[in-house]
Amino acid sequence: MSSYKGTREAFTQALLALAASDDRFLLVSPDSLKAMRATSFAERFPDRYIEVGIAEQNAVAVAAGLAASGLIPFVATYAGFITMRACEQLRTFVAYPQLNVKFIGINGGIFGGEREGVTHQFFEDLGIVRSIPGITVVAPADEHQVYQAVKAIAAIDGPVYLRAGNGREHVVYDENAPFELGKIRVLREYGSDVALFASGFVLNRALEAAETLNRQGIKATLADVHTLKPIDSEAIAAILQRCGAAVAVEDHNVIGGLADAVAMVSTEYCPVPIGRVGLQDVFPGSGAAEDVLDHYGLSVGDIVNAALRVMKKKK
Amino acid sequence: MAEVANPAELQKIADQLRLDVVKMVHDAKDGHPGPALSIADIVATLYFKELNIDPQNPYWEDRDRFILSKGHACTVLYAALARRGYFPAAEFAGLRSLGSILQGHPCMKKTPGVDATSGSLGNGLSIGVGMAIAAKYRQKPYYTYVMLGDGEIQEGIVWEAAMCAKKYRLDNLIAFVDNNGWQSGDSVENVSGLLPILPKWEAFGWHCQSIDGHDFAQIIEAVANAKQAAAPAVIVAKTVKGKGLAFMENDNSWHKRVPDDSQLAVARKVLGGGADE
Repeated sequence: MSSYKGTREAFTQALLALAASDDRFLLVSPDSLKAMRATSFAERFPDRYIEVGIAEQNAVAVAAGLAASGLIPFVATYAGFITMRACEQLRTFVAYPQLNVKFIGINGGIFGGEREGVTHQFFEDLGIVRSIPGITVVAPADEHQVYQAVKAIAAIDGPVYLRAGNGREHVVYDENAPFELGKIRVLREYGSDVALFASGFVLNRALEAAETLNRQGIKATLADVHTLKPIDSEAIAAILQRCGAAVAVEDHNVIGGLADAVAMVSTEYCPVPIGRVGLQDVFPGSGAAEDVLDHYGLSVGDIVNAALRVMKKKK
Repeated sequence: MAEVANPAELQKIADQLRLDVVKMVHDAKDGHPGPALSIADIVATLYFKELNIDPQNPYWEDRDRFILSKGHACTVLYAALARRGYFPAAEFAGLRSLGSILQGHPCMKKTPGVDATSGSLGNGLSIGVGMAIAAKYRQKPYYTYVMLGDGEIQEGIVWEAAMCAKKYRLDNLIAFVDNNGWQSGDSVENVSGLLPILPKWEAFGWHCQSIDGHDFAQIIEAVANAKQAAAPAVIVAKTVKGKGLAFMENDNSWHKRVPDDSQLAVARKVLGGGADE
């Protein structure tokens, strides 16, 4: 049985496995080796560990050059340093020419950045990359899913952004649970009173909320939307059709992430009221990981209340 | 046109490329002729003498790479690629228009022979570093050439790349700085605190040379020296913006400006009236 200390270790284990079977896989590090828990990769594959120093823009553009030469680089560091500091390099020199670069952004969400504060809490990353054409966007829910997801994104040709955490992620999935890129996964089907869509490391809270609602006699359907782009429109629309109201739960600003992705599907295929549980467009602060989620609107109670609110708006 | 060796032939080719540039910008009614003309002699030398390339096989793994980091000068790159045989010169007519293979700035997915997408300044050297590291890793013999503008090296990422190239001892990476002294808004001297250029590259551990960027013998010798160097090499080429047409030389209004019919006629006369197609 595999076990990791968190999603970063899961990433490194997956990359080690990939690299062992294919010499095109490289790791580009802007002095992020320790942060990524990837020193074992550097030790095992020293010539495939490209250390560019604290220079994220360079890291991404170097990766573009490597990919243009037939290699498959992973650029791994803090989510915001990829998606904000090196955003233009990601957009213009990787996504635009459709180069096969994989991005792993850690400290995703306010949970991921927790005590570090806003400089290291990244809650805009998914919105930023979603708005760039031609890039796949993935936010797995736990370490087992990250491991599977890294392998899944390595198997496709083209740029991908995958969000990872900082070691405090709860294990939700069984180790052998499959990860199917581009497809939602329905985890609970109590009924069709309300739909809960969750993404990333708050899936445990969404599960708890679904169970709480069930105890109150409200039958929810809960789905993990780990792939935000391309979004699984068909499956989401079918759930919206059945439930008639939905709540999106994400450790991200309520602008740009899962809630917007679900709303896009809803407005096109099945307009229903949608509640947004996430960071309410404010800058958060430092705090213990679970506490910051509770404080900034992502408690189990917040999810339950949002479900009750949208149900009242059902037509 | 095939590969050539001597400066007289290179001059003819460079004149043809310059005329192609002026005609392209004239016909498209948009583009950057001045910064394209300043690098025409270097681009001609690279594409018609130095680069180990096969226009029939643009994605050949072992080819030398050329990255026009100052992508706004792309008309001279398009001219060189077409005249070298990557695509027909008839494509020039589509410059900057819908459906054309010739984008306003270079796109590696749309134009055969373009090795890297470029145009937002500063990024080409990092991409070149990636290609040069890939060559080392794959034990490939190719060289990667990068053309930077002198204004462009105000971008911080250039120095991130310079540092990285030194660390990885990229003796297969050769950068030119097109030192025409001008940038979009004004002279490089007035806009920035960049000068002098060469000591900065020296401080970053690069093999450094200064040349006249319009002297073919000097360009050829500098490339030979750069290939012998045990470090990444930079060639700071003193050039004239708009070189080759008196009405354009050192007049920074030609950074982005469209020649009229009479100016095109002058260009035809001065540059030998080379082939249109």
